[in-house]
Amino acid sequence: MLDMIIGTVTQGLIYALLSYGIYITYKILDFPDLTVDGSFPLGAAVTAVFLVKGFDPYLTLLIAMAAGALAGLATGLIHVRLKVRDLLAGIITMTALFSINLQIGGSNLSVERGIDTIFTAPPTMLLFGSMPLMYRKLIVAFILALIFKLLLDAYLKTKSGMLLRAVGDNSALVTSLAKDNGRVKILGLVLANALVALAGAIVCQEQRSFSATMGTGQMIFGLATVIIGTTLFRKLDFVKGTTAVVIGSILYKACIQIAIIAGLPANLLKLVTAVLFLIILVLGGMKGKVKQSA
Amino acid sequence: MKKFVAIILAVVLCLSVCACGAKEASVPVIGICQYGEHGSLDNCREGFIQGLKDAGLVEGTDFVIDYQNASFDDNINNQIAQSFAAKDVALMCAIATPSAVVCYAAAEEKDIPVIYTAISDPEQAKLTSGNITGTSDKLPVDAQLELIRAIQPDAKTIGIVYTTSEANSISTIAEYKDKAPNYGFTIEAIGVTAGAEVTQAVDTLISKKVDCLNNLTDNNVVGVLSSVLEKTNAAGIPVYGSEIEQVKLGCVASAGIDYVELGKMTGEMAAKILKGEATADSMPYKSVTDFSYYVNSAALNEMGLTLPSSIADTAIEAN
Amino acid sequence: MLELKNITKTYNPGTVTEMCLFKDFELSVKDGEFVSVVGSNGSGKTSMLNIICGSIPIDSGDCLIGGESINKQKDFVRYKKIGRVYQNPSMGTCPNMTILENLSLADNKGKHFGLGKGVSKKRIDDYKAMLSTLGLGLEDKLNVKMGSLSGGQRQAVALLMATMTPLDFLILDEHTAALDPHTADIIMELTDKIVREKKLTAIMVTHNLRYAVEYGSRLIMMDKGHIVLDVDGEKKKNTKVEDILDLFTSISIECGN
Repeated sequence: MLDMIIGTVTQGLIYALLSYGIYITYKILDFPDLTVDGSFPLGAAVTAVFLVKGFDPYLTLLIAMAAGALAGLATGLIHVRLKVRDLLAGIITMTALFSINLQIGGSNLSVERGIDTIFTAPPTMLLFGSMPLMYRKLIVAFILALIFKLLLDAYLKTKSGMLLRAVGDNSALVTSLAKDNGRVKILGLVLANALVALAGAIVCQEQRSFSATMGTGQMIFGLATVIIGTTLFRKLDFVKGTTAVVIGSILYKACIQIAIIAGLPANLLKLVTAVLFLIILVLGGMKGKVKQSA
Repeated sequence: MKKFVAIILAVVLCLSVCACGAKEASVPVIGICQYGEHGSLDNCREGFIQGLKDAGLVEGTDFVIDYQNASFDDNINNQIAQSFAAKDVALMCAIATPSAVVCYAAAEEKDIPVIYTAISDPEQAKLTSGNITGTSDKLPVDAQLELIRAIQPDAKTIGIVYTTSEANSISTIAEYKDKAPNYGFTIEAIGVTAGAEVTQAVDTLISKKVDCLNNLTDNNVVGVLSSVLEKTNAAGIPVYGSEIEQVKLGCVASAGIDYVELGKMTGEMAAKILKGEATADSMPYKSVTDFSYYVNSAALNEMGLTLPSSIADTAIEAN
Repeated sequence: MLELKNITKTYNPGTVTEMCLFKDFELSVKDGEFVSVVGSNGSGKTSMLNIICGSIPIDSGDCLIGGESINKQKDFVRYKKIGRVYQNPSMGTCPNMTILENLSLADNKGKHFGLGKGVSKKRIDDYKAMLSTLGLGLEDKLNVKMGSLSGGQRQAVALLMATMTPLDFLILDEHTAALDPHTADIIMELTDKIVREKKLTAIMVTHNLRYAVEYGSRLIMMDKGHIVLDVDGEKKKNTKVEDILDLFTSISIECGN
């Protein structure tokens, strides 16, 4: 049973990176970014290809992030420069990425057991080599989730980060600060999709495979974790948004796990998820309007 | 940072408390991870359990089944595999390629044997070495082409719709393109990315005046087979299936493998592993070489086609 | 020196709702002037501000600052030298950020928004000093979110933010209109003080004729895209509310108001 909890928390921590990305676009930028369903498998595809070619697994994480950043840039440019609506801009990039991912990784690509991943490569083994793989996965996922949480928290306090928050909050103000809010939005999309692709890269290393369909539903998943997290911790000011999102991610994975243990058929699972999601949204919406209106 | 760690720990604790009281089974558990709801895959599963029983094992005393279906969702698929590993199942049975891949990854830590079925190309999916084995449902492409030639002696082009993201379809389409000229056919293939595009692709093929349509085991195509058949019936174009379930739905004929048999074969391999007679590592994967002709006489009549006597003798009526 | 030359602007050209707002509109504002602009609804006051700020494009004409055309500059480029306070108090600040963060953003206007610390601890005392001049007690609420302040408080902070960095122009777009009379008076006093202290060039659009008469060095009344009254200096000082009220009523009646 302990194994199951460790497995679930590990999954939650890995997917937290995806949730950070959606936290940036949905919560900070107020941008419904559907690129996610394409940039997540993009990260995985790039990772699988480079791992198979024998690249260092840590390096592949950076390459995947760069690829994700490009995807975000594409959505940003389509939205800002070509003036396509936010939702549609994301859909366009996502659709294009489906083909691109197929080109990169094929319909699916396995990474054989002989190939080292971030969970089995030298630096990890040097530090935690005595532990079983399962614990190593937990620790590596935890460290990555923590590092990127701290980086994101720190970034949001910089001048650039504050400007990013300002765009989602009041874009007119950014204009009167003599800044092009289009550029700030693009920056946000680049960062968010880099994180999403990173999540895809880690998932690929963890399950040793890429599949072209693995992006389906990731946007909804991320949205749910962000909303669960931020709604649960709304009243607690000391809990940062990023932390709330990590908890949301773990809780969501735990819910699915419980449903699987309970033997709920997967098709029903989605309905249950949708209902849960709706309840949280409605509850969150009722409490959330207090400070907004002038 | 401290709060972050504290909160994570709190969540872990809460979950552990919730988890207490779950009972552990002493009978070996076989975790079946099936990628989605699908006639052939269901047949595989039933055959698998039958195969275990045929080998002399008794359900409840020698093994128990923990069956999970991922509904074609990659996230859930992976989580099912993870949960099998966490539950320390004695053996994982993965039905279809995506499930096999994630089960194999999840089984790495504890070296749980994985047995798969309904995979067209285990080589391509890199599932041929390690503590894993199973059965391949590689389609009898030659037999199918022969069958089409026998039923439609004048046919020239065969239309095939396939999903560009399904590994099985891609390897099979390549084989079709490779072998079709041997039987005097050309293949007109259209790739789709989703189930919604299939009927459009069929319209395109009809307008290109293909002589017949041929199905693979492609999930998206099989999923909308009824509406495909409506269109082809109206256009008077026969559709050949790739397995019995499709013929039952209204395809004219198929040279197909028996998925229940495939499942049984898999079950027997699994039984050897459970009994300790063999390991997954030591057994190479198997493919069925036997195939049967399945026909749907009503559909054939409607198309004005007749079955040559050479085939009619052995064909099995699927209704 | 701001000059608007031969400005022509037509809304919805080529449709039944076509409306020509400005035809050969001219205006020049000298450095150091504080211009109050009054006029009925639809007279083009706010459109004029939007043209200066680049929020709406013009059909023809020239918009010059210091003799240089800014026609081709995008809105956010023009704001390098322009500060603006809007009618809606929530337009000038970020509701989900604290007062401190809002002030820090404004403080960095015109500089690079890089990876340096967003809030400078060294500046906190300066911010507190600025806030205490408002007399609203905001200096103790630096870490309070902007969204939880009242409209008047927000507008006061917005005014501070708009004038924090060196400016060519301060644009006040009916910035007291959404406030209650008492708060409006406070904000107006504060505006006057800031404009005087910083020797700003300002254009204030207002519906409050008293403010237009009492404050500023020049008074303009607009009607249907034309300037119908333009007084400054001694003449402006001698102008009374009743004088412009008569004129205002006469043009409003023409409009059918």
